[in-house]
Amino acid sequence: MVSQRDKELFRDDVRSRGTKLSAADRENLLRPYLPDPSDLPRRPPQRRKKASRRTPIRTFIKSQLHLLTYTVIHIIFGIISRLTLSYHAVVDRIFAIIYYHHRTPELIRKDVKSLKRLPEHLSVILSLRKEDDALAILMDEVAELAAWSVSSGIPVLSVYEKTGVLKSCIPVLYQAIMSKLSSYYGSPAQQPALRLFAPHHPIYNQQQGVAPSNTHNDNTLTILLLSATDGRETFVDLTKTLAEMSQSGKLSPEDITMELVDAEISEITTQPTQTTTSASLDRTTMGPSHNVSLVKPEPDLLLVFGPFLKLDGYPPWHIRLTEMFCTGGRSSGITNCDEAVEYHGFLRGLWHYAGAQMRFGR
Amino acid sequence: MSTSIHLSRFRKWLLASPPIEFAIGQLRNLLVGAIRQGPVPQHVAFVMDGNRRFARTHGIETVEGHNLGFEALARILEVCYKSGVKVVTIYAFSIENFKRSKFEVDALMELARVQLSQMVQHGEILDRYGAKVRVLGRLDLLRPDVLAAVDRAVDMTSGNGNCILNICFPYTSRDEITSAVRQTVAEYSQPLPSSRPSTTSSRSPFSETHITQNIRAQAQVVKGEDVPSDTETASQSSAEGGASKHNLPNGVYENGSSFSSSSTLHLAGQPDTTNGKAAVSEPTPGKESHVFMSPETITRQTLSDHLFTYDNPPLDLLVRTSGVERLSDFMLWQCHEDTEIVFLDILWPDFDLWHFMPVLLGWQRRISKSKKNPDAEGNFDGDTSDCVEESNGKVKDL
Repeated sequence: MVSQRDKELFRDDVRSRGTKLSAADRENLLRPYLPDPSDLPRRPPQRRKKASRRTPIRTFIKSQLHLLTYTVIHIIFGIISRLTLSYHAVVDRIFAIIYYHHRTPELIRKDVKSLKRLPEHLSVILSLRKEDDALAILMDEVAELAAWSVSSGIPVLSVYEKTGVLKSCIPVLYQAIMSKLSSYYGSPAQQPALRLFAPHHPIYNQQQGVAPSNTHNDNTLTILLLSATDGRETFVDLTKTLAEMSQSGKLSPEDITMELVDAEISEITTQPTQTTTSASLDRTTMGPSHNVSLVKPEPDLLLVFGPFLKLDGYPPWHIRLTEMFCTGGRSSGITNCDEAVEYHGFLRGLWHYAGAQMRFGR
Repeated sequence: MSTSIHLSRFRKWLLASPPIEFAIGQLRNLLVGAIRQGPVPQHVAFVMDGNRRFARTHGIETVEGHNLGFEALARILEVCYKSGVKVVTIYAFSIENFKRSKFEVDALMELARVQLSQMVQHGEILDRYGAKVRVLGRLDLLRPDVLAAVDRAVDMTSGNGNCILNICFPYTSRDEITSAVRQTVAEYSQPLPSSRPSTTSSRSPFSETHITQNIRAQAQVVKGEDVPSDTETASQSSAEGGASKHNLPNGVYENGSSFSSSSTLHLAGQPDTTNGKAAVSEPTPGKESHVFMSPETITRQTLSDHLFTYDNPPLDLLVRTSGVERLSDFMLWQCHEDTEIVFLDILWPDFDLWHFMPVLLGWQRRISKSKKNPDAEGNFDGDTSDCVEESNGKVKDL
């Protein structure tokens, strides 16, 4: 705690670009605030002996006092955080009653109608639970989120799940989402078109019977499935490829620019592979690909359904300007860290996003 | 109206009076000492956001806002280092910030130059208490006089104690990642210094050239007169995508660190000409060819080692003030796994122990909980790949 008088002295000095005080003056100003040299962990040996002989009792009492304060503070903090948790739980329940979607797209649209802006690309972080039917729950959550997103007019939803278990069951997930959508929208003709893909996987949209042209609903929802391997691992793959190219003399390290990396990394999430057979690395083909990019690579809003904000291996490149929102924890106990994906959490995220002001360059 | 002015003046006077000041100082020390007793994050990052808005709301100049922000930084650094944080990383200036008004950029540069050169004057004190100061980012974008001050400060403190202050000066995370990739590639495209026979013999008892010769001899026996030259065989077979009879040499090369023909097989999309070229240049024993480290040995750790923060502990906590809830190109790679990101709705010059305390307490609470119960959320150890397998296993087990 710097005293007011010294603060003024310091500010004067800063204002005059550090000319007013000499180095010795500043040291004198500083001296009372420096900790006792004997408190330092890396002290010279002869000093330590002297210090410990000087104040053994005082040091002991001090450490006991600190320990006591630590305990007391944590007890108080624990009580406070429990109280806030239960308060939020109550508020959540009230919100859940007031805002419920009733599986009606019109209601959802009404809820978001007043918002100033909507994310064009919504991203969510979900986690696999530890129960038996974890996968079923996860798929149901994805399906719900898909239904809410398309109802509120968000065209792109990307779902991050660390283990990548969703990627292995894309057809099943597609069915789950379609059945969820049919429970929201009714007959298949009124359902929005759905495109589901993951990096290195082809687009999955069944065109059985119903051609997309004769549907009444012209909304399209694109769902992108991400996992931990699309994060740092992608950079490793890219570096490997670049290193190989450099070793065979096709590229010099100076050619690697931010633009190149950006283009390569973006391509993975925006352009699904066209052929169903090869799920291999096709980004080494440097030729101009004529695929229309389906997805805006940078998500506008990232919803974290968890007790605190943790990215958990989310692909790092594109979250530069992404707004992050954590729906907050209701996990009061230690064991049940289940974070239900709930409609009002989703809605609060959208509200938050609409209220935030956007500034580039910090 | 006048009462409130008097009241605030009285409050100020009261807070500035020696006994109160002393008491608050003691309280701070007590709290910091208490925090020390529990687990403490090893690496904390701050985005010092809100200096300009603070200046605007308080009706002072932007430059003054930045000066106050510097004072807040000093306060927080004191709290961090006293409570046992090893590394503090601050986001001082983004590359994007060069787009701001020239006046403000110049003032920020001046602030940095003055503070760094003042710091250098106190060499003795710095040595006794000092943290290592490092400046991360694109130093080539700085003005020469600022760069000189930066270099001096970094040089002087490089031998200092075990605390590190990382100042991200003209920094963006994308730039950092890109330069990490570039450096890795540059490193891997340096030919290995030692000659091939010695490296091979040091690694395995078999000689690559010998095996190659043996296989060639076999191939010639099998194919007879079909094959005009040895070089042709090698290049053709690997251009075809690795014929089965050449599995043996491929496997051998993969063990070695050379740029082998087997690694080109992974490049499904690469034009065939390069495959041929690489293969021709590699397995020809007589020709003096460059030997490279195999790119297959690149891992996440390799890239992390080329970041600016290569020797720092993983980022435990990232705090951003002023209520803006995005990372703004800061520590994208480092934030990635178990970092707790906290957005506080307070302007940076106001930021102090009282606001930082709940964040620290919450972190301590979570960590001690997850230590007691390692399965719970916020598990602290293990890297991603292990975690993935673990959680897969857990799903199956339970």
